[in-house]
Amino acid sequence: MVQPIIRIVDLWKDFGGDGTFSPALRGTNLEIKSGEIVALFGKSGSGKSTLFNLIAGLDHPTRGRIEVDGQDLVALGEKGRTGLRRSRLGFVFQFFNLLPTLTAFENTFLSLELADRPDPVVALTALKEVGLQGKEHRYPHELSGGEQQRVAVARAMVKRPSIILADEPTGNLDTTTGDQILRLLTHRCRESRTTLMMATHSPLTCRYATRVLQMVDGLILEEASCQEFNR
Amino acid sequence: MKIVTRSFLRYLPRRFSLSLLQLLGVACGVAAVVGMTLAARTALTSFAQAVEFLRGKATHSIQRPAGPMSEGLLTKLAHDSAVEWFSPAIDRRLRLGHGELVRLLGIDPFLDRTIRPELSRVRTSETRSSHPETAFSFLLDDRAVLVDRDLAAELGLTVGQRIETLKGSLLVTGTFPNPSGEPLILMDIAHAQKLYGLEGQVDRVDLILSNESAFRSRWKDGFLIQSGRQRSGTFSAMLDAYRLNLEALSLLALFVGIFLIYNTAMFAVVSRRRDAGILRCLGAKRYEIVVAFLTEILILGVIGGALGGLIGYFLTRLLTGLIGSSISNLYFFLRPEPPAWSYWILITGIFLGFAASLLGAFVPLVELIRTDPVKALSGRVGSGQNVRKARKTAVAGLCVLAASVILLIPRKAHIYVSFTGIFGIVVGVSLLTGVALVQLSPALKWILYRLGKLPGKVAAGNIRQNLGRTGVAIAAFMVALSMSIGLGSMIGSFRQSLIWWMDTQIRADLYVGKIDEAEVPEDFYEELQKIPGLGGVHPYRNVQVMYGDTPVYVSAIDASVLQRYTRFGWLSGGNENWEAVKRGGVIISESFSRRFGVQSGDTIVLQGIHGPTAFSVGAIFYDYTTEHGLVMMDRLTFLHVFGDRTINNVGIFIDPNNPRREDLLSLVKQKARERGLPVVTQAGLHASILDVFDTTFAITRSMRAIAIVVAFFGIAGALLTFFMERRREFGIYRALGFSTGQVARLTLLEGLGMGMVSYLLSLVVGTLLAVLLINVINLRSFHWTIFFHPAFEPYVLTAVTAIMASIGAAVYPIWKVWRTYPQMQIREE
Repeated sequence: MVQPIIRIVDLWKDFGGDGTFSPALRGTNLEIKSGEIVALFGKSGSGKSTLFNLIAGLDHPTRGRIEVDGQDLVALGEKGRTGLRRSRLGFVFQFFNLLPTLTAFENTFLSLELADRPDPVVALTALKEVGLQGKEHRYPHELSGGEQQRVAVARAMVKRPSIILADEPTGNLDTTTGDQILRLLTHRCRESRTTLMMATHSPLTCRYATRVLQMVDGLILEEASCQEFNR
Repeated sequence: MKIVTRSFLRYLPRRFSLSLLQLLGVACGVAAVVGMTLAARTALTSFAQAVEFLRGKATHSIQRPAGPMSEGLLTKLAHDSAVEWFSPAIDRRLRLGHGELVRLLGIDPFLDRTIRPELSRVRTSETRSSHPETAFSFLLDDRAVLVDRDLAAELGLTVGQRIETLKGSLLVTGTFPNPSGEPLILMDIAHAQKLYGLEGQVDRVDLILSNESAFRSRWKDGFLIQSGRQRSGTFSAMLDAYRLNLEALSLLALFVGIFLIYNTAMFAVVSRRRDAGILRCLGAKRYEIVVAFLTEILILGVIGGALGGLIGYFLTRLLTGLIGSSISNLYFFLRPEPPAWSYWILITGIFLGFAASLLGAFVPLVELIRTDPVKALSGRVGSGQNVRKARKTAVAGLCVLAASVILLIPRKAHIYVSFTGIFGIVVGVSLLTGVALVQLSPALKWILYRLGKLPGKVAAGNIRQNLGRTGVAIAAFMVALSMSIGLGSMIGSFRQSLIWWMDTQIRADLYVGKIDEAEVPEDFYEELQKIPGLGGVHPYRNVQVMYGDTPVYVSAIDASVLQRYTRFGWLSGGNENWEAVKRGGVIISESFSRRFGVQSGDTIVLQGIHGPTAFSVGAIFYDYTTEHGLVMMDRLTFLHVFGDRTINNVGIFIDPNNPRREDLLSLVKQKARERGLPVVTQAGLHASILDVFDTTFAITRSMRAIAIVVAFFGIAGALLTFFMERRREFGIYRALGFSTGQVARLTLLEGLGMGMVSYLLSLVVGTLLAVLLINVINLRSFHWTIFFHPAFEPYVLTAVTAIMASIGAAVYPIWKVWRTYPQMQIREE
């Protein structure tokens, strides 16, 4: 039996302080297989971003277990989790989160440098693959929203990660551009058999996902189709 | 270079104006330290060189405990088996016609060439050939002098020209090299004796001894014998308190500079938080972010330090002169030359900037390392967390304050401990600034709303919400303003105490003669005593003697005259204290009492010409003549003990109701003029004492100004950072309908608001600083009491400074608002 690439067991995350109990995740369970393209729907505050931060090792669960690529994140330690983000995990954010003082090329190359594979040709190729050939030396403020998100996709993909976490990747884009980004992202992931998890509000995402999940009050529900969200 | 580092460093040129402000702030802090330290070191090196040069090859010197000695002793010295060589000297000051004070050394050119061979390398003409007539005129012409080459060049003098002095014109018969840098004129000792009215007397004899202990055993009674090292040590000891306070001032400037770097680093942390969050998400290790951040700070520190070194060098040129004047006025003659340029100055500046950057960036670095990437990206490192952090910092501040108070309590603690305590208080209060700002926010909001309506209210909110930035800038500005109030109040109180003291002691209508420049011949004193109608004719002698191994001063006075005409400030008792003096006892200054632990009724022993002599201490009086301690005795007692008939000046007292008052004053002035003696009125002497005081504190004032400038850069940096990082917010203002004028007003009120809070806090801290400086530092450094005279002036001046600096700091951001606001829109990235 193929081991899931992401496995979450009885995951709790409580942000309440001063004695109050305010869990963002309530005993969530989840298994994602390698190569799956998963769309995770949920209203604001349902816990999607919290889940992503936990999977990325950026935050610690209150209770429960997270395994990424067969490794227990808690047992990995901070150094191990950092290593995971360097080489096995890619991030695409809603607000792009490009470093404003670096060019498109440098933002992409940064991923390779952190992964200890600094190859400028690979970075240039990644930018070309997202349709930004000729714009490598532009700074984020010189690019449109869609172009910035393309850079973010290139940055995430360039190191050939096992998993990409995309938190509302089209949340800040118009429908047409958003569709282009989704197509690009899912296409590149399918090509490289990268697991893709997308947190989203957009029903468009359904079109590209192989699996649809819904987050409600800190719990994940499996949905068969997107019809629920298209209504 | 790693891209992580590059991403941080690119902010430097991108935010050029902010980087420049930060750079200038660091440069100013470093400049203050470099300037002050270099100037102080130059002065002390100059003094050491001068002492070395004048000492020459002499191993010892012999002089009377006070006053000149008879040249008849030279014969005995010549026959003493322990004396290998000797050279008598007259060592006095001479005021040149244009006002400059120089040293005049009267020497026997034949005896002296063994002791000071450099002085014998005389050039008597502009060509290498010597002129016998000119060479002999040094010996034969009683107005002939040799001038050191640097002084001659400065005055444009050549051999054969005359140099004008207050003792008449002198003929320049040659020049000599003087490596010490101190202006020096040489004269044949016989002519010098005549010039100063010291016929048959010398100030000291420089010796080369073969057997010190044997010599001391023969000459111990009635003479002061000092080795070269002891002599240097004596001079050095006189500068101890002054040097310490100079060091403290420069450390204070460095502290403000480090604070500014801390300020800069904190801004950088707050600005880079989001970038650090992104990098952590992408897999950057903590140390990579630390390296990037440190590189940015260290670049600012190194470049700022280099610039500071350069500025400090130029500052040295100003400060060296000030320090030299102060030392000359207060202690002994010194005219240090500003240092020559050396690349070590630049290296020192770089090192200081580098070290200060590391120190200042330490706490912000720890904060950056601990940044939660999730919160950093969400922007939720918000006000709640800032307030919690401010509370924690305040707790740390209270601990530092408590420790500092403990350091200040012991009365006999070393002065360094006291300075550490004061620094600790300043640091501790700085750490309380955040909490204080939170508490003052409602009041600030009320004030700014009254001043600026809605923009004012928003400005107050912004100051409160951005505690991470504003708290640090306000703390730095508060420290600088507190220094201004503290030092200003201390100086003001000192000045008032000095004025009070002068009114108690310096009460003669006229003073004839001038200490170290123009002594009053004894026959003139006797002539003055015979003028009918004069209330009191007071002969005054002030001379340095050794009390054990420590230099102190002894004053010879006429107790009857002072009892009648002065109102000495006594620590206890009143004018009846003079009776003890008339009976042969002494009174001592407060600084003597504190320094040596001597009280009324105790006995002190001074070395006189008959050996050790015991004196009963009758009373203690307040005095600011010298921090080393002053012993005052009647002239008759002084003559008996020291045999020194020198009179430094004569005070003339005339009863205010005397109808012939003006005539008598004119008569005395005329007689003094006929004798070529300077005369100064009471008001004139008071004014010149205050001039000396003001010159001495010019250095302190310059440090105050530098601290304000450094802190100004902190406020300016805060406001500019506000502007740069809130473009999105400005876009929202514009969308809501705020006009450009309103946003400009908002920016101005943010600056003014921060300045107001800084000033308010500085009122408390500055007053506390003044009290500590007066009651702790001054007392423990100089051993005298300064009475606290609260005055409005330092507070008003500081308020004006705070307002102008706040407004000045806001000018550039306001200009940017006027230029860019009309185009601002809300953009997510």
